[in-house]
Amino acid sequence: MPAERRYRLGCDIGGTFTDFVLLDDETGQVRIHKCLTTPKDPSDAVEQGIRELGKAVAGAAAGMDEVIHGTTLVINAIIERKGAKTGLITTRGFRDVLELGREIRYAPYDIFAEFPEPLVPRRLRLEVDERIRSDGKVLRPLDEAQARNTVRRLIAEGVESIAVCLINSFENPDHELALQRIIREEAPGLSVSISYEVLPQIREYERTSTTVTNAYVKPLTGRYLERLSDRLRSLGFGGRLFIMLSSGGITSVETAATFPVRIIESGPTAAVISGQYYGRHFQIPDMFCFDMGGTTAKSCLIQGGEAGVVPTFEVGRVQRFMKGSGLTIQVPVVDLMEIGAGGGSIARVSKMGTLQVGPQSAGASPGPICYGLGGTEPCVTDADLLLGYLDENYFLGGEMKLDRKAAEHGILERIARPLGVEFMDAVWGIHDLINETMAAAAKTHIAERGGNPKVVTVAAFGGAGPVHAYGLARKLGAPRLLVPPNAGVGSALGFFTAPRAFDLVRSHKKSLAAADMEEVENIFRELEAQGAAALRKAGAVDGLLFERSVDMRFVGQGSETHVPLPPGPLTGMAKEEVRDLFDAIYENLYGRTYPDSPVEFINFKVRATLPHKLLKLPRLKASGGRVRDAEKGVRQAYSGAARDFVPHRVYDRYGLFPGAAFEGPAIVEERESTVVVGEGAEVRVDEYGFLWIDMGDAPGAENSARAEKGGADGRQV
Amino acid sequence: MGGKFDPVTLEILWRRLISIVDEADTTVARTAFSSLLRDAHDYTCMFTDRKGRELAQGTFATPGQSGAMALGIKRMVENLTPEGFGPGDVFITNDPWALAGHLNDVCVMSPIYHRGRHVGFTACVFHHADIGGRVSSDNHDVFEDGLFIPLVKLYDGGVMNEALMEMIRWNVRTPEEVIGDIRSQIAANHVCSEKIRQMLDDYGMEGLDELADEIIGRTERSMRTSIQEVPDGIYRAQGIIEQMEGKDDLVIRVAVEVRGDSITVDLEGSSDQVDWGGNVVYNFTYAYVFMAMKSMFDPDIPNNDGCAAPIAMKAPEGSVVNCKFPAAVAARMQIGHFITEIIYRAMAEALPGRVIAGSGGTPATMNVMYGRRHDGTPFHSVRIRGGGMGAGRDRDGEYCYIFPANGANTPVEIFESDTPLIVEKRELITDSGGPGRMKGGLGRRVVIRIPDDDSAPIPPIHLGIQAGRYRYPPEGLFGGGPGAGARFLVNGRPGNPYGLTLLKPGDEVVMDAAGGGGYGDPMERDPEAVQRDVREGYVSLEAARADYGVVLDPETLALDSEETARLRASAKGG
Repeated sequence: MPAERRYRLGCDIGGTFTDFVLLDDETGQVRIHKCLTTPKDPSDAVEQGIRELGKAVAGAAAGMDEVIHGTTLVINAIIERKGAKTGLITTRGFRDVLELGREIRYAPYDIFAEFPEPLVPRRLRLEVDERIRSDGKVLRPLDEAQARNTVRRLIAEGVESIAVCLINSFENPDHELALQRIIREEAPGLSVSISYEVLPQIREYERTSTTVTNAYVKPLTGRYLERLSDRLRSLGFGGRLFIMLSSGGITSVETAATFPVRIIESGPTAAVISGQYYGRHFQIPDMFCFDMGGTTAKSCLIQGGEAGVVPTFEVGRVQRFMKGSGLTIQVPVVDLMEIGAGGGSIARVSKMGTLQVGPQSAGASPGPICYGLGGTEPCVTDADLLLGYLDENYFLGGEMKLDRKAAEHGILERIARPLGVEFMDAVWGIHDLINETMAAAAKTHIAERGGNPKVVTVAAFGGAGPVHAYGLARKLGAPRLLVPPNAGVGSALGFFTAPRAFDLVRSHKKSLAAADMEEVENIFRELEAQGAAALRKAGAVDGLLFERSVDMRFVGQGSETHVPLPPGPLTGMAKEEVRDLFDAIYENLYGRTYPDSPVEFINFKVRATLPHKLLKLPRLKASGGRVRDAEKGVRQAYSGAARDFVPHRVYDRYGLFPGAAFEGPAIVEERESTVVVGEGAEVRVDEYGFLWIDMGDAPGAENSARAEKGGADGRQV
Repeated sequence: MGGKFDPVTLEILWRRLISIVDEADTTVARTAFSSLLRDAHDYTCMFTDRKGRELAQGTFATPGQSGAMALGIKRMVENLTPEGFGPGDVFITNDPWALAGHLNDVCVMSPIYHRGRHVGFTACVFHHADIGGRVSSDNHDVFEDGLFIPLVKLYDGGVMNEALMEMIRWNVRTPEEVIGDIRSQIAANHVCSEKIRQMLDDYGMEGLDELADEIIGRTERSMRTSIQEVPDGIYRAQGIIEQMEGKDDLVIRVAVEVRGDSITVDLEGSSDQVDWGGNVVYNFTYAYVFMAMKSMFDPDIPNNDGCAAPIAMKAPEGSVVNCKFPAAVAARMQIGHFITEIIYRAMAEALPGRVIAGSGGTPATMNVMYGRRHDGTPFHSVRIRGGGMGAGRDRDGEYCYIFPANGANTPVEIFESDTPLIVEKRELITDSGGPGRMKGGLGRRVVIRIPDDDSAPIPPIHLGIQAGRYRYPPEGLFGGGPGAGARFLVNGRPGNPYGLTLLKPGDEVVMDAAGGGGYGDPMERDPEAVQRDVREGYVSLEAARADYGVVLDPETLALDSEETARLRASAKGG
């Protein structure tokens, strides 16, 4: 890199704010900046933010070697149905695959449950005469004249993008490639996505849906990335622009523009990438990365510094957070759990006469009552304020004054009175119930991945994460809590630790017994060549790494098991070794295996990566000061264990230094968030400014105090 | 409002209970072997209080199984004597009359103890893919259906009954899978018990009874409040269900008596039990009565004993909806699935906004295709499918779901790689949705061809179908028309869907799933909605005119408002 290019910039476009993190590679120092997102053209905010950073750091724009960019552009275009007018070409007899889906009802007792409209209406789904068999042989050759007419019909309809998905094309792409050629001949420059390139994987609905989604967002993603590149250039930026993939890797602008469906969850993965990095750096075997914002909480189990990546994602759920109510796409996505729990989650009285918190959210606008922006329904943040966790005068560093009176009134009138409970029971109940909701979901998420909630270190991110992490950790029985600096902007450093990586897959069903290992080796080599090409676009010269894996199953089984393979050519590997690998993984996942039942290959996968640039965590200056100097005072805040307000010592996070240690109950304030530390926990600040919170023993059966109080004094509520 | 739990604590504890049972569910997903369980989620976990009243069940439970199970477990617990069980005991049964109506549904149940005190029961029912027996819907009695396990102890005081395990092992075709899945059931119960103990410790509670009273009580009140909105009276309907060629149609009669906040469903007058596997046990009938009631009155609240408390059911013993031992029951869904829509029809006048017309996915269609490939190796494929959903007052019917049961289809590419057969079409059928102000969901056509080239399988290729709606298509409501009926064609000629069909290379079968019934007068459908349907090919130009009185320009599809108004007026006049 030229000597003057000492900076790297991370830039994350969120729903409300666009976050910037400028890293000085020479000093390891980071500078954080935020500006309002500009939905009409998100690159406006990017340009504005970089200009503002340039005022603080002279020569920042020209001095940037890399810009790493995450965006919610793609997912928003799908949710808001603002993508291109798209046409779909299928094999004759199969244009309704997209609409029929997998035919499962996600809410068995709800006969009026809604399903998402397909992205391509039926009149724009046309069929061609051709057929490939399941073994890749041609049953009926493509009728090119008819195909050309079909393409012309779509063009005449005015489509801006065409998706092509033919039955069994993953075994033989000839017909899809011919269609791609015809489309290019008929309409040079028109956006085309063929399933063999987007997702050459068995199961026609999932492949069609993914290809169509790619086609739907391709024109707008291309235009946006082009505009963004131009703007960066005009600011003097001469480095390389990378786009964050949903899988946690980063890729080139060219690849992102060709496969925009791969950057669908590009925003939310940043906190996870940070989490992975911290997990590796601090050698934390099991970490639960917990990112709670205004609307949702996104969490992820990170084991040995690796977050899981799952092959399926659902977008645009018509019933929020209901699994099965969205469009299925198959792209590698970080294994995130997202639930409707955030600072803006609304508290209501349910029709059963109990308290309900979330998943509805007041969002940023009108927001919680205490924001004073017109919100009338009590939210989690209102409760957090009244519990003394938030300081009405130091919210967002004092930029926003919170209205305590209005919050009190709201909870009293809308919750406490209708439920017939004491005011403080209602306030605490809102905080505690949202923690319970998150803990319940977290336990299932962790259990499904073979983890144990009782051993995880909870790492807190997001504006509301550090406020709720203590309560969540208690409910999980987790021993330790980790709060990185700048946790409120979550992803901060994550951007710089993301590997340049690209995942490739191809389906080819073959029993292990009948498989020709030469042929399998060739499939892997082809995938690796494609991966190398994608990484070269991202600036790779050498040092490419390839991880091979296969999806296998017992013959006839409904789903597959993912089996990573050791490095080196497969031709040197005995089939028994492959079989042993499968059995070992299967047994670990499901408790036992069946060595006598035959197994088969379904998918072949390659992850191509470049080792990422090392990142030095910035060290906190050792001040040799006293903890007392960081104290801002003492505040009465609510203790769930005592069921009463108790004095909490309040610390200024910016005054803490390596080695500082103190005990709960305490509150640590920083600009974008507040860390709540309950009784029994001990806090230690490490050399990087991370707070390590040892949860200690649960203080005197937190909950039983409650039940006894409710029961023993026979209080009528 | 009174009780030991304030509404805030109560909600927290309630969530905990549901999360406990969902964790047990997850254990199944991780440990079960058969893909029917892992992927199609054909199992239900639940737990009860000391008296056997259901407190919580897994969120993704299947309606038939879960409804039958809540009732079945309660009965089983009521019949246990206090000396009859103790710590470390695990019960097992697949008695269709005690549980979910066929032998494949095996239940494992364990008492839960906390600090030496009995606090409740945990149970799970798995649909085992194999339970031995003759796998066919034309069995004459339950003995042909497979292995029958009465309610017995699999573990007694923590000691396994080895003899019983051996009995099971030697009576099924895939012992590894069956025994493995039974172990997975034990594991799920274990997880459930552990977590409940932990919760009781966390909250310093002695047992579940008071919490159960509170949760069940509130749920029951919520359900009753909803029921109370319906005027008192007896609401009746009947359904005609076809049987195989040469057998009389079956009749199911329902009389739904609403009195205050209670409902009694009486099935008096329904046909006698049959000499094939379509017989439905009381519990399974109740499950689909319950499905109807829950969906109409309170679809969102979590299931527990309180939801079912206001709903009683009477069914004549020895009828097809309350069959007597030892009737064959393996094909119970072919009859049992109809109960829900017959109840909707009965309640339509009283609750016009909460019911839907008949659905093409009632009953669920099941196909079994098997034979030998050209090289002699066997193939075998089981697929389930639905049809068009019935329309509701404010909603068109959705396209292609199994209803009131549930399940997923098999991808064409998976089917073709598992068999030597070719799927030529899998598409929506134009004009198959019942016309109405709200249109019924479209049915779906599947065309399968037996190749006759060098990969042709060795004849015969067997095709077995469990389905219905060939003679009686799904009916509409309030003037809505019926959906198109199901069809089964072999080489263009009607085949017999109720028998085993033998196919040879070159044959082509067409299997059309029925469309859903329409809702309301089609002449009142918004002409622009009809225009949209024609543009998308859901409704033909001709049907737009004939069924909906909507006239469109054949070239541009522009709406001819005048001609439409004239046509609709004359339709009304005539």
